[in-house]
Amino acid sequence: MPPPKMPDLSSSMKHKYVKLGYQYLVNNFPTLLLIPILAYTALELFRMGPEEILNHLNSLNFSLLHILGSSFVIMFFLTVYFMSKPRTIYLVDYSCFKPPVTCRVPFATFMEHSRLNLIDTPKSVEFQMRILERSGLGEETCLPPAIHYIPPTPTMDAARSEAELVIFTAMDDLFKKTGLKPKDIDILIVNCSLFSPTPSLSAMIINKYKLRSNIKSLNLSGMGCSASLISVDVARDLLQVHPNSNAVIVSTEIITPNYYQGKERAMLLPNCLFRMGAAAILLSNRRSDRWRAKYKLCHLVRTHKGAEDKSYYCVYQQEDDESHVGINLNKDLMAIAGEALKSNITTIGPLVLPASEQLLFLSSLIGRKIFNAKWKPYIPDFKMAFEHFCIHAGGRAVIDELQKSLQLSAEHVEASRMTLHRFGNTSSSSLWYELSYIEAKGKMKRGDRVWQIAFGSGFKCNSAVWKSNRTIKTPTEGPWSDCIDRYPVFIPEVVKL
Amino acid sequence: MLLKEKTIMEDRVRLICKRTVVSTKPVEQGRLYRFSVFDHVMEPNHIRLVYYYRTSKTREPGEITKKLRESLAYTLNCYPIVTGRLVKETDGTEENRWKVKSNDAGVRMVEARATGTVEEWRRSVNREEELKLVHWEDMYHLPYYWSTFYVQVTEFESGGLAIGLSCTHLLADPVCAMMFIRTWADLTLTRNMMTPPLFHSLPPRRFTSHKLSNNQLLSHYIRSCSLTAPPSNVTEDRMVTTTLLFPDPMVQAGENEQGISPFEILSGLLCVCVSRAKGKRNELTDMSLCLDVRKLLRLDQSYFGNCMVYHKVHYSKPVTTKDRLLLLSYVVKEIHNVTKGLDYDTVMDLVEWLSSNNNNPISNGSDLVCINLENMANSRPMMFEEDLMLSHVSCYVEGPVAGGGQAIVLPSQLSEGPMSRVVMVTLPQREMVKVLEDELLQSFSPVLLMEYTKLLNQ
Repeated sequence: MPPPKMPDLSSSMKHKYVKLGYQYLVNNFPTLLLIPILAYTALELFRMGPEEILNHLNSLNFSLLHILGSSFVIMFFLTVYFMSKPRTIYLVDYSCFKPPVTCRVPFATFMEHSRLNLIDTPKSVEFQMRILERSGLGEETCLPPAIHYIPPTPTMDAARSEAELVIFTAMDDLFKKTGLKPKDIDILIVNCSLFSPTPSLSAMIINKYKLRSNIKSLNLSGMGCSASLISVDVARDLLQVHPNSNAVIVSTEIITPNYYQGKERAMLLPNCLFRMGAAAILLSNRRSDRWRAKYKLCHLVRTHKGAEDKSYYCVYQQEDDESHVGINLNKDLMAIAGEALKSNITTIGPLVLPASEQLLFLSSLIGRKIFNAKWKPYIPDFKMAFEHFCIHAGGRAVIDELQKSLQLSAEHVEASRMTLHRFGNTSSSSLWYELSYIEAKGKMKRGDRVWQIAFGSGFKCNSAVWKSNRTIKTPTEGPWSDCIDRYPVFIPEVVKL
Repeated sequence: MLLKEKTIMEDRVRLICKRTVVSTKPVEQGRLYRFSVFDHVMEPNHIRLVYYYRTSKTREPGEITKKLRESLAYTLNCYPIVTGRLVKETDGTEENRWKVKSNDAGVRMVEARATGTVEEWRRSVNREEELKLVHWEDMYHLPYYWSTFYVQVTEFESGGLAIGLSCTHLLADPVCAMMFIRTWADLTLTRNMMTPPLFHSLPPRRFTSHKLSNNQLLSHYIRSCSLTAPPSNVTEDRMVTTTLLFPDPMVQAGENEQGISPFEILSGLLCVCVSRAKGKRNELTDMSLCLDVRKLLRLDQSYFGNCMVYHKVHYSKPVTTKDRLLLLSYVVKEIHNVTKGLDYDTVMDLVEWLSSNNNNPISNGSDLVCINLENMANSRPMMFEEDLMLSHVSCYVEGPVAGGGQAIVLPSQLSEGPMSRVVMVTLPQREMVKVLEDELLQSFSPVLLMEYTKLLNQ
């Protein structure tokens, strides 16, 4: 009997070391180049001795004019450089809304209500049950009070009270955490996709907190689950123009008016996944906030695939045959999301990836174009660029898909999965709940880089890269403070209802 | 004239909404709770309670309802059986009997508003209208989606509050249903759960096969559990309910004997009056007493589950006297013998027989059933908020266990004295008319708290 061969293990080990060596070489190339030059210079200087050096320096006849002129030129270029550098945007702090325990919706209650409200269409109820079983949600997610009624009563008043509850709670918490006074807010951006009353939600906030009359306020609606990063982008641009200012961003989704009351299956899906949530974020470009800020914004990339009809129609709000308005989710949503992500990665890759990965990707690209189209495309290893990942908790399928395509480990996507379990899909604010999870677990160290990826209707894929400014100490105050010890939990594939 | 009054009455209670209240903490999934034999035997019946609170402070409409809803959510953390749902699962050893799966589904809550004040309401309603304050739904054909408990909170626009609780008798008897409200009230007022419920099975079987030869309790159950159809005379005449307040039954009866309780006197009184109303000259009507046996079985009062037994009263001597007071004292003595004669072994014999032999629910036929709830008052008042004073409690038990007539003896909330009792009497209309006119009953000076409305053609 031939002894069992073990070539794979040793070859994979060899492969690993080769890869490590290659990465070290390419990433530190400038340093590696500089060392011999410095060594040579130092050797030369020692050889020459101090008198020879002084003689060399004296022979260069520097007059006062020369010195002044050159220093002026140097100062000029330095000034131009510093003035044209974009202002650094700091994320001072943020707070997430923790829903009251009395709004909790366990699976059994959700299914009972579904059965009582859709009493004539048992097939739709069965469909909702199957979705819920595989959704990855837990028993502690919350729906607003109006949806707890049998049948639900989504009036405009109820929608406004939900908006007031989630937004004001999050903002009060933000004020407490940061010591910010309402009168000091310079820019206010609110994003809420599906509820857009007049006066706007930003006007509602201005009215409640008596903000200044020269505030720059903006209300973004209809922009889907990726609107939070869009708001951050707009805030960043505004903060480039206005020196010494701060910006408050409020991201939320109001569930009350958008609970689908009909029986079309594709439109019942959001009912099963969307839950109450909100986040309030304080950004600043002031140098004085440099010390207390939690994060620094490094990059923000927005990708819009709306030019293609397929992408445009894949998440579409429409009326069904009975004139109930709901959001229709297309079957190829995942494929479209994958395409949008690829587009986004192509832009963000060169900004964040180390040189070794970029080189490999480039050579793989050239190879596929010139030599053989059948070569497997090289997927850059983003784990080398980031320590933490916040993937929008749009649903279990989204997280699974991204974990596969970016080759992430279970630990990397833990924040997203646990947020989906505890809070459900809170739309644009889910990125902030995930960030809060990472902090609550004590994993955020100084210098860590975070990648937030959000998808939204349109079809958009937006990503933001933050760098941690300081190590966040546990225990943290936030929506996870009373339950973080229970997490991570094991989420089964199918929960039997 | 009557029709106009009726429509005015109908509009008085306005339903605002219906929702489900769930506990604040998720339950441990998948636990199955089994019922005791006492529970199984009460299956086809249900209970309805109404608690009236009067207040001196004016409140925003909806404010107290919201507070009660939130405190109910916290209370439900201790009642996983109440928030679960009924399933019939074969367990290997058990045949196809009901169990509760604690799936965290919650209880249904209905919110309503009523015009006027609590006092005005109570002065002018009858049974049908009072039951508008308690929401109840019969079991759906899919019992897994059917809530076993229903809570209704009705705010009176000019002041006051009514809390209605209904539940299936399979899960609870009137004692633990009232304890549920007490726990809820304590939690709302003090944020502290003073008497959390206890869920466990009845005391275990004894291994000595020592059966009492003369177990009348057991014989009553053997007979009653095989009764299937209700006797014909119950369905002909309309059942009506009146509520009477007896300020001091002990004094009136002139009893010197120790140990007699107001319940015993009032049950005896009603037995005598109903017998005459039925036209029985020399005999007394069949009567069953419904008694709480928690203390007997050495269980705490917060034991949650059925723990009340029905014991038929046997008259050892035939009736010969025409003196009604003598007759009354004889009946009271017989009743007292029953309550004194109930002991641990008697009840345990019944439990054992029910476990091994019986699958049927109990029916009390056409007996007069007297339910003893007089010990449900407590020195600590049952309040939800500082200025909400409990003014009255109504209790209804419906189903085959209600027999041919019912008398539920409750403690009195008014400061008439520690011996005063409120009795809710349910009888066929013809008998009720005669009982209310009976001079023996009138000699106890009852105060009429709730009338019944006569139908024109009766």
